[in-house]
Amino acid sequence: MVDVTTFLDITVSGIGLGALYALIAMGFALIYKVTGVLNFAQGQIAMIGAYGVVFLGTGAVLSSPLPAFAALAATIALGIVLGIALERIVFRQFIGEPVLSVIIVTLALGGIFSGFIAFLFGRNFRAYPPELTFGSRIDLVAGATIQTAFAIAVLLALVVVAALMLFFRYTVTGSILRAAATDEQAAMVLGVSIERTIALAWTISIAITAIGGILLAMSSDGAGFSIEATGIIIFAAVVFGGLDSIPGAFIGAIVVGLLQEYGSFYFEGGTAIVDVGPGFGEILPLLFLLVVIVVKPYGLFGTERIERL
Amino acid sequence: MPCGEYFTSYESRMGLIPWRTQRIALVFGLPIPFLVPFLVGGGTLTLFTQMYIFAIAVLGLNVILGYAGEIVLAQGAFMALGAYTTSQLLGTGVGLLPAILFGGVVAALVAVGFGLPSFRVKGFYIAISTLALQFITEWFLNNGQFEAVHGGARQTLPSTPSVVGPVAAIGTDLDIYYLALVFMLAFAMLSLNLSRTGIGRMFRAVHENDLSAAVLGVNVFRNKLLAFAIGGFMIGVSGGLFAFNIGFIDPQFFTLTLTLEHYVMLLFGGLGRVWGALLGVGVVTIVRDTLQNALQVAAEITGTNATALVPVFFGVIIIVVLVVEPKGVLAALGKIKEYLRKWPFAY
Repeated sequence: MVDVTTFLDITVSGIGLGALYALIAMGFALIYKVTGVLNFAQGQIAMIGAYGVVFLGTGAVLSSPLPAFAALAATIALGIVLGIALERIVFRQFIGEPVLSVIIVTLALGGIFSGFIAFLFGRNFRAYPPELTFGSRIDLVAGATIQTAFAIAVLLALVVVAALMLFFRYTVTGSILRAAATDEQAAMVLGVSIERTIALAWTISIAITAIGGILLAMSSDGAGFSIEATGIIIFAAVVFGGLDSIPGAFIGAIVVGLLQEYGSFYFEGGTAIVDVGPGFGEILPLLFLLVVIVVKPYGLFGTERIERL
Repeated sequence: MPCGEYFTSYESRMGLIPWRTQRIALVFGLPIPFLVPFLVGGGTLTLFTQMYIFAIAVLGLNVILGYAGEIVLAQGAFMALGAYTTSQLLGTGVGLLPAILFGGVVAALVAVGFGLPSFRVKGFYIAISTLALQFITEWFLNNGQFEAVHGGARQTLPSTPSVVGPVAAIGTDLDIYYLALVFMLAFAMLSLNLSRTGIGRMFRAVHENDLSAAVLGVNVFRNKLLAFAIGGFMIGVSGGLFAFNIGFIDPQFFTLTLTLEHYVMLLFGGLGRVWGALLGVGVVTIVRDTLQNALQVAAEITGTNATALVPVFFGVIIIVVLVVEPKGVLAALGKIKEYLRKWPFAY
């Protein structure tokens, strides 16, 4: 069953899937680095992005939907507004509260979001407007092929990731964000407004998570509730990368994407070497996560925390 | 008669029911749950049974989260383990009580297994690994490949099993009500006493500051595992009772929504307080039931999917409680009492 072309095929789609996860994982790592909040609602926020396009761009709920690309832009804008709103209304209340409160709040937000989406759309798959779906496949080297929608989504994801990296590296705002993340007090002494930085971090985080959701949905031609599970899968990515490292989150996401594709090809269904049942592709990253937590809890690039009394 | 009540010894301060008012309330209040079946019937009785069963699970969560401070997000998974073990054992004919207790043991073992990483990591790592457990369990139960182990995703339990071995068949609503009540009272007593003993104080020390606790000679790792074992056992037992009460199990009953629901109950009543947990379960169960009925009606009238809004309601309650009074309703009542006691003076 193991032949080179299929293996290459799966590797390519694994890296692609990883690139899509990378956006959501980086959204998580960014917000953890700057504010210390562990966002358990990433999956649901990605789903808001995915279903936002369905909401604005198709006739599922609105009687006169926007054109597809306007809907796309409007959804990203919605992500930005949501980021600002969440920071102002919810997370500002919880600065300095124990970890438990913050985790529970994000879980609760996740429940709220997925409840609303289930209310509006049901738990069904919703197709994207035809302008955003592509049927054909693209040929790659050595006989490997990849779906066009998937390829476009992955390319866009890589563009966003590269833009983010450049933003952090070469702009003043990016430097301010990095400074605030590294040492909040020193940044404050140097005249950085922490309040504004935190708001900015939330905005970027939620926006790229929403974009990640849109692209994930695009790669499968429509939004489904399976995107919710991304929220837990990216934990494997960020913990492996070392929680507070943004490049680490990217590398972790690629590894997790590969694991998921290998898992779902080689361990489930008719193509399997060892069939352990449907859905194992999404379970393999979680098993990997457990191993990482036990063996190397601070991940590849994470800072080890030293505690003193 | 002295004006007011004073504690003259540490024993009386640490008593199970320290205040006279509480003792009077207990004498009048304790018979009420035993008399309830004579006053209400049918659906309301089942609601009460459900309340007691959830109370056991929330008390278990209270031991792990409220006492030992470990964030466990696998409430649904532990209950599912208890439920499926109970269902499988009932088939072999060992009787209901051994089946339920063994279900608790299985849940406790898994809880301890997932507590093992706490040797090296703490806090949110445990939250993440138990969340992973939740998803793995759901996948495992839905997976036909492991049917030999869990016996199928959807199962119907025998409606009138015997209690121990082949003797004493039970199965009426009334029987289940009393069974759940007895279990609930026993575990409430256990939790109350746990917080009064050295073990409970060690749990709290670990919760407040594990590093200081370790310096003071508390074995942090062992105490965390002990909390996982006790809490996991209670949650597993609750799962077994839940399965028996409904008579049918489906992985859909044991999702993250259930975990969220139990967190609402515990946080609403007050973390680390047994009475708070019980109060929270009571209030939230009744409100949830009312809301679900109302939404069902709304869904039928408007033709929309209104019942999907239940998690929204839970989410909003949690956030409001955490913003307004993170210590829960009991602490808020205490504050009001303190204010009224001093009124009209500021202090």
